[in-house]
Amino acid sequence: MQKFNRLMGLALVLVLVFAITIVGAQDKKVVITGIGMVGGDLPTIDPGLAETSGSIEVINQIFLGLTNQNFDSSSELGLASGFEVSEDGTVFTFTLMPDVAWVRYNPETDAVEQVVGADGNPRFVTAEDVVYGMLRSLNPDTASPYSYVLVPYIVGAAEYNAGEGAMEDVQVVAVDATTVQITAPDSTPFAAQIYGLWMARPVPSWVIEEFGDVWTEAENIATTGPFALKEWRHDESLTIVKNPFWAGTDSVPVPALDEVTFRFLDPAQAFAEYIAGNIDAINVPLEEIDRVRADATLSVENQTGGNPCTYYIGFDNLEGPTSNVHVRRALSLAIDRESIVTNIRKADLGPAGFFTYPGLNAAPQQADYPDFAIGFDVEAAKAELEMGLTELGISAEDLSSQLILAVNDSAGHVAVVTAIQQMWADNLGLNVVIEPRESTTYFSSLSDDAPTTYRAGWCQDYGDANNFLYDVFFSGSSQNDTGFFSEEFDALVVEARVTADTAARVELYAQAENILVNTQAAIAPISFYGLNLLVKPYIERAPSVTGNESYFDWDRS
Amino acid sequence: MMRFLARRFLWMVVIMFAISIITFFLMRTVPGGPFDREKPLPEATRKNLAEKYNLDASLPQQYLDYMGAIIVPRLTVEKLKPSSAENYLINIPLPFLGEETAFRWMNFGPTFTKRGRSVNDIFIENLPISFNLGIAALIVACAIGIPLGVISALRRNTAYDYFGMGVAILGVSVPVIISAPLLQYVVGVQMGILPVTWNPDKWGEFQNYLLPAFTLGFVNAALIARLTRASLLQVLNEDYIRTARAKGLPERKVITLHALKNSMIPVITILGPLLAALVTGTFVVETTFGIPGMGRYFVTSITARDYTVIMGTILLYALFLIICNMFVDLMYAWLDPRIRFD
Repeated sequence: MQKFNRLMGLALVLVLVFAITIVGAQDKKVVITGIGMVGGDLPTIDPGLAETSGSIEVINQIFLGLTNQNFDSSSELGLASGFEVSEDGTVFTFTLMPDVAWVRYNPETDAVEQVVGADGNPRFVTAEDVVYGMLRSLNPDTASPYSYVLVPYIVGAAEYNAGEGAMEDVQVVAVDATTVQITAPDSTPFAAQIYGLWMARPVPSWVIEEFGDVWTEAENIATTGPFALKEWRHDESLTIVKNPFWAGTDSVPVPALDEVTFRFLDPAQAFAEYIAGNIDAINVPLEEIDRVRADATLSVENQTGGNPCTYYIGFDNLEGPTSNVHVRRALSLAIDRESIVTNIRKADLGPAGFFTYPGLNAAPQQADYPDFAIGFDVEAAKAELEMGLTELGISAEDLSSQLILAVNDSAGHVAVVTAIQQMWADNLGLNVVIEPRESTTYFSSLSDDAPTTYRAGWCQDYGDANNFLYDVFFSGSSQNDTGFFSEEFDALVVEARVTADTAARVELYAQAENILVNTQAAIAPISFYGLNLLVKPYIERAPSVTGNESYFDWDRS
Repeated sequence: MMRFLARRFLWMVVIMFAISIITFFLMRTVPGGPFDREKPLPEATRKNLAEKYNLDASLPQQYLDYMGAIIVPRLTVEKLKPSSAENYLINIPLPFLGEETAFRWMNFGPTFTKRGRSVNDIFIENLPISFNLGIAALIVACAIGIPLGVISALRRNTAYDYFGMGVAILGVSVPVIISAPLLQYVVGVQMGILPVTWNPDKWGEFQNYLLPAFTLGFVNAALIARLTRASLLQVLNEDYIRTARAKGLPERKVITLHALKNSMIPVITILGPLLAALVTGTFVVETTFGIPGMGRYFVTSITARDYTVIMGTILLYALFLIICNMFVDLMYAWLDPRIRFD
């Protein structure tokens, strides 16, 4: 009996503790999320060093950029209250919002407080901070993996980043405390958006000088965004809290949520926690999509959207049988993209006839240019194959033996290439061998010597078609593993890059797409990525344009 | 005894060196590097990164630099600037030599994939969690496995035996990759009585370790049970057991004092390496239950070519393995008086 009493006592205590936790949770709006997180720790939350979408998502909540990516993929104001562009379109003068505080979380008072400078006054974001952030990313000693996105848009940046030029020659200057002037080598319509990207954001120079590369730990960091970093438990979770000193703007409002916790779980575990009711929002694991769609509750909580990435098959344009344009066209035309999206890549937005993701600024839409887009056409594929074989002077068996389909060894990708292998066999009579390679080996082999055909993907850095067509397939690009080269294509994307009128740019990019995916068939676009989430009904999620969530737009009832 | 330990210690140093050399050069012959990405980095950036991480030096030089940072102790007189590249495992302040003077030893280097994190951070923050889980799993394994094996052996070919070995077969043939998510779903998601994944805010430490320790322990309990049974059966047929019985010793004493002790030799032999493997972290169980331990790093460091983490995890595992095996050897002498060290 005594034992029973003790058990009852324990149960009572547990119930009480539980009740207190629930009451405690109610007066604060807390969201626990697994969206965009993968198992294991975030590699970094340093804006100068971030390269994965998980890192960038957290950075977007705690560090402000001069500008933000808008829903039509143009830029809108962030930290800057306005900017002026010189007549030739190369000199950008940004005016900063006044009194944006540097803040940090104090665990002793459980409150976010302003950072006080050496003179005893609160620190506010100055033009110097903006300049420092950009120069730090460009500094070769920082070894920022994403500095290359910023490099082409500031005069002197390329030389400095390569370790050849001086820091003083980089044309980003603080004119006064609230004015930053940036000079670009040429006039591009999307440069203002680049200056707001994560690697160009203001970071606290004094913290970095004191704490070196561990400045991003919660006890050291100082931030500017609508949220502040509360706690970072490595390999486990990261928590951000509302920054009461953020006054809010149209594009970055005062957050409705008090706290957001990111949990670093593998998709399957996040799904289990979601079902158990311990996580409020997650990505749907690929293998659970059918279950979610069939389930009465889950299908209602399922939210979908776009994710600016394109899945494609690359061809070696320089060597082997795929250097023949007819072979490439045959292989591309024989792929039933609709079937891949319906049966395998179920979370995707739809089949891709172009390389450029349709939601981007100046991106051509397939519906507007049906003749330029590539699609599934068995008869045309067979005819192209005949022409290709005649030109090469080989039989279909010879061609089969010369082709390989390389893929990085992950279950999802292998399923896609296996389907493509089958389509090539059924539609063209080609028996191509799949060659799975371990991921890192695979990625290094692509840039060294591309296989005849291989799986690849590309996601946006910034929301403009230039980031797809120029940044990847311009002949001088380090991202261009195919070796594709066309003077006409280069001329089109170079012109579109510096054209101000969006309608004219769309037309130029459409013609460039026609060369890339259709007449030259340098690659075979497969599908456009989608976002497939589960969000509890009491959460009000705001749609996302970059594929990353903006938790300052979220609310919970 | 002391000579034995001294000899083993010297061997340990030699083996650790051999392992470090083999691992270092083997991992560097694998194609691809820590900075190969789906989006390849431009040449200038790769050059900057190679310089920062000392990858532009010659391979032997890199090995010497790496080992030097671990082996050679340093005496610092000034306050150490926080940095993942200068993070020492052992820091002993020497206030009598100067205010900020300290003896520092064993810098395992910065990680390549997590900026601002050093391998020592992983040792200090993640290893204790894996260690606790490993010890808990081993206790579960022994607590279930040894009694199960003993009962099966003593009640050979009875229902007890069949039940015990049935459980053991189940444990051996259902891998943790099946049992972990299954237990997680039934006990965590459906019944809700234990955490689904690691959640120290909502659950106590004991609850957080319970499911993973049981999952991990059960598989090994099966192994131990089968080994215990086989070994005990063999020992029971030995001459000295017959002698003990002939002397008129009660059966209970024959089993506990003579048979059981001796039959533990094969079990202890596998417990050594098992302990080393469990306390340094297990990938599947830690991933499934979202445990921030070390197990994940053994696998991800290799796929990411995170050179310092590969070296760190391998050296750590090797060290544990050698120490555990040394203990196993010491246990032999206690379990079987016929075994001597000289």
